[in-house]
Amino acid sequence: MRINLPILALLGIALGPSLTGAGELFPPTLPIEEAVDRYVEAQLQEAGLQPAQPASDANFIRRLTLDLIGRIPTLEETRSFVASTKTGKRIELTDRLLNSPAFVRHQATEFDTLLMNGTRGSVRPYLLMALAEGRSWDRIYRDLLLPDESDPKLKPAAEFLHQRVRDLDKLTAEVSSLFFGVNISCARCHDHPLVADWKQDHFFGMKSFFSRTYQSGGRLAERETGLVKFKTTKGVERQARLMFLTGKVVETKTSKDSSAKFSARAELVKLSLQPDQRDFFARSIVNRIWHRFFGYGLVMPLDQMHSENAPSHPELLDWLARDLVEHGYDLRRLIRGLVLSRAYARASRWDKGEVPQPSLFAVARVRPLTPMQLAVSLRLAVTDPQTLPAPSKPEELDKRLQGLEASAASLARLFDQPDEDFQVGVHEALLFSNGAIIEKDLLADGGDRLLNRLRQLTKDEEAIDLAVQTILCRPPRDEERKLLGEYLQQRVDRPVEARRQMMWALLTSAEFRFNY
Amino acid sequence: MVPNRRLNFCGSPLHIMDRRGFLGVAAAGAAAFAADMTQLNVLQHPLLAGELKKQQKRCLLLWLAGGASQLETWDPKPGTLTGGPFRAIPTSVPGIHISELMPQMAQRMKHTCIIRSLNTRIGDHGGGAQLMMRGRRDEPNLKYPDLGAVLARELGRRDSQVPDYVSFYFATEGRNMSLGTAGFLGSRYAPMELYTSMVPENIRRLDGINDLDHKQRAELRDLLSKQFAQGRASSSLGSHNAAYQRVRGLMASEKLFDATQEPPKIRDRYGPTLFGEQVMVARRLIEAGVPFVRVARAWWDSHGQNFETHQELVPELDHVMAALLDDLQERGLLEHTLVITLAEFGRTPRINPSLGRDHFATAWSATLSGCGIQGGSVWGKTDAQGERVVDGEVGAAELFATIYRALGINHQKNYHIGSRPVPLTEPGTKPIKAVLA
Repeated sequence: MRINLPILALLGIALGPSLTGAGELFPPTLPIEEAVDRYVEAQLQEAGLQPAQPASDANFIRRLTLDLIGRIPTLEETRSFVASTKTGKRIELTDRLLNSPAFVRHQATEFDTLLMNGTRGSVRPYLLMALAEGRSWDRIYRDLLLPDESDPKLKPAAEFLHQRVRDLDKLTAEVSSLFFGVNISCARCHDHPLVADWKQDHFFGMKSFFSRTYQSGGRLAERETGLVKFKTTKGVERQARLMFLTGKVVETKTSKDSSAKFSARAELVKLSLQPDQRDFFARSIVNRIWHRFFGYGLVMPLDQMHSENAPSHPELLDWLARDLVEHGYDLRRLIRGLVLSRAYARASRWDKGEVPQPSLFAVARVRPLTPMQLAVSLRLAVTDPQTLPAPSKPEELDKRLQGLEASAASLARLFDQPDEDFQVGVHEALLFSNGAIIEKDLLADGGDRLLNRLRQLTKDEEAIDLAVQTILCRPPRDEERKLLGEYLQQRVDRPVEARRQMMWALLTSAEFRFNY
Repeated sequence: MVPNRRLNFCGSPLHIMDRRGFLGVAAAGAAAFAADMTQLNVLQHPLLAGELKKQQKRCLLLWLAGGASQLETWDPKPGTLTGGPFRAIPTSVPGIHISELMPQMAQRMKHTCIIRSLNTRIGDHGGGAQLMMRGRRDEPNLKYPDLGAVLARELGRRDSQVPDYVSFYFATEGRNMSLGTAGFLGSRYAPMELYTSMVPENIRRLDGINDLDHKQRAELRDLLSKQFAQGRASSSLGSHNAAYQRVRGLMASEKLFDATQEPPKIRDRYGPTLFGEQVMVARRLIEAGVPFVRVARAWWDSHGQNFETHQELVPELDHVMAALLDDLQERGLLEHTLVITLAEFGRTPRINPSLGRDHFATAWSATLSGCGIQGGSVWGKTDAQGERVVDGEVGAAELFATIYRALGINHQKNYHIGSRPVPLTEPGTKPIKAVLA
């Protein structure tokens, strides 16, 4: 039975509406969230599925706060949001988070991971500047590929190329994957076996844009001429042309005679953003951002956006890409639209039998926290909430949180960056079970720590309430009250230890480890 | 036709069950698989479980970090310009000679196959280590798992109470160039690395909590997490709970790492060296069902004073390896355990002015002993001075295919990354049939 589902899904895709034909899309004047829900719900209706309930307010604020600013909400933030009866409070919360300095820091961390994971470098200093200035995605792309190293603001962006320039195959493959959503590395050695789109000409065509780039005296430099040669699988030697993924070729200077400076990399940037060429660029970032907030892309895998791997919602992807381009590649606007949709705000629990395909977005996905989300959330969760500045003093609170973020950085290095189908390793469970940093640092009972507050609460019920609300961002359920109450009761002779262990069980619970 | 073709590559865990399904090894992240575990409760049956455990295949890699000389070990060339001062001695298998520095292994040749014809081309420590630990080089966009991670996945049990990939590497030389890695298989199969202490990190309970509380708070965690997991299908979520469920078992395995648990007779047999002790502990782990252990001995990188270095290191290797094979055989484990000696490369026949030998990946040796191996044999041949392979040339891919086959694993088996099939060894790679039992 299981095996039939993919068949049905594939048939559905094959019979579904065509990829092109922007004329048939919903009007561009729709709010993003409205377009998202219309397209997603149309497909759910076709599948005869009722989506999951909307997430509760407590669930929503935790999810959104983790997604937008990279940490769980504080006790006070959760309480006042849940208690509020204002209409439009979710919109208000979204805008407040999007406009906070923490949003810039978290975005910088996320994009730095995307762009630099697997290298030894970081472009975070550049991203902090660019995102604080509200730079658009096409601008960031330009800054990364054409960094002006004489400009101190832009110099850190050059790290993107510096980390890859000694391996041009890697640079070619990673630029194609990161910015255009396609993995052409197979086509280095042979035409892609499954995808007619990718020939060796594409790989070496893309490589040709980078092959003139090199390091000189620690700086990036670029020759004006030079062509890539390669051997086909049949052993024929070919000279590659400067060819983009669409097949569009840039004529190159062959000699140094003409006076105008020619940069192959600049040509790639220019070409890939032209109106008839920019689909790859726009659709790829839409798909990646969508994936970040929904835990599953409109196209999966993220680097397989080609003609034989159709999107789950082709028109929606087209609509969002068009919208992004029309609004100057403004990612903050895109993100705001996605998180205001009903599709984003569904519960993650499915009680109606077999869980639907993730590509239907019928139920929210459970997503592992990133190392930094986990580390900052741990630091915050073990802090006595009464020692935090009130949400009404956002600047003071942010200052305190910046301190927590700084101390979380070393903790974050102990965790793995989640990838697709992430598997938690046993070293993480051992670290939490027996690591000195957990027991002696996170679970310390002095000063501003939660445990210090918990041990002052003589009534178990109060300690349980405070611990669960602070750590899990929701009140305890009855069965949890009972379970935790019994645990504490069995340890009346050592109440501090008992409370420490209760905190441990909550901090290591699956609920804390994931964004759900 | 596209849908059909894609279906084959759907990446579903259902497609990668095959023989591991029987052994009760769930595919990485197979939430769907967990439901099928009911059929696999043979493991609850003590007799069957004992039999399965015994038949489980495992592998012990002796990693000769820095690059041991084939000329002073498995492929001596006495009396030639490149041969150096040491003689060759006959072994218990007529016709096979090895260096005189290995008299004990010479007496045990019947368990071992020497491969003398490796040409692996990569002559720097980092690149060589990567190649010889993974059997291939990484691609852009694709990080391969090393031998240990693949075997942890293929031979380990998902719910195992022991670690499934342990690596000892106490020396600092070369360590960072040959770190274990699970590559695209993910952290579930990452090595438990021991760098400075014979006890793995975080395996021992801290004094601040008593054992009962440690156990009961884990049960409390489990109860809370189970409630959360209801109605939420996610393989990552499943792996989180599975990792915590292994903690107590792994803590109980601490004594496996304790060399003093072995009787003095056995300890004496392996000898008083750190390498000997680690190999003995590796044997304890293997015996308890750990599918893969690597013990690194460093540093063989003899650019100067090659002969002094090998005069010191080879007899130790000879003694420890012989003790290991004897010990495994006496316990009935040798036929289920593959013992490998391997390095990032060998050493140049040419002796340099510092009386050293340099990096040499063109014609060098490795050995395979025990499980699935035709013992008492030699594969391949180098020329008179050991400068070229003249017969039976093989690369890393063929060596790895042979290792997989010796352990009963199809070397052409595919993993799936999205829709892309990734075979264990490059398509078209053939194992060395003559080496397999």
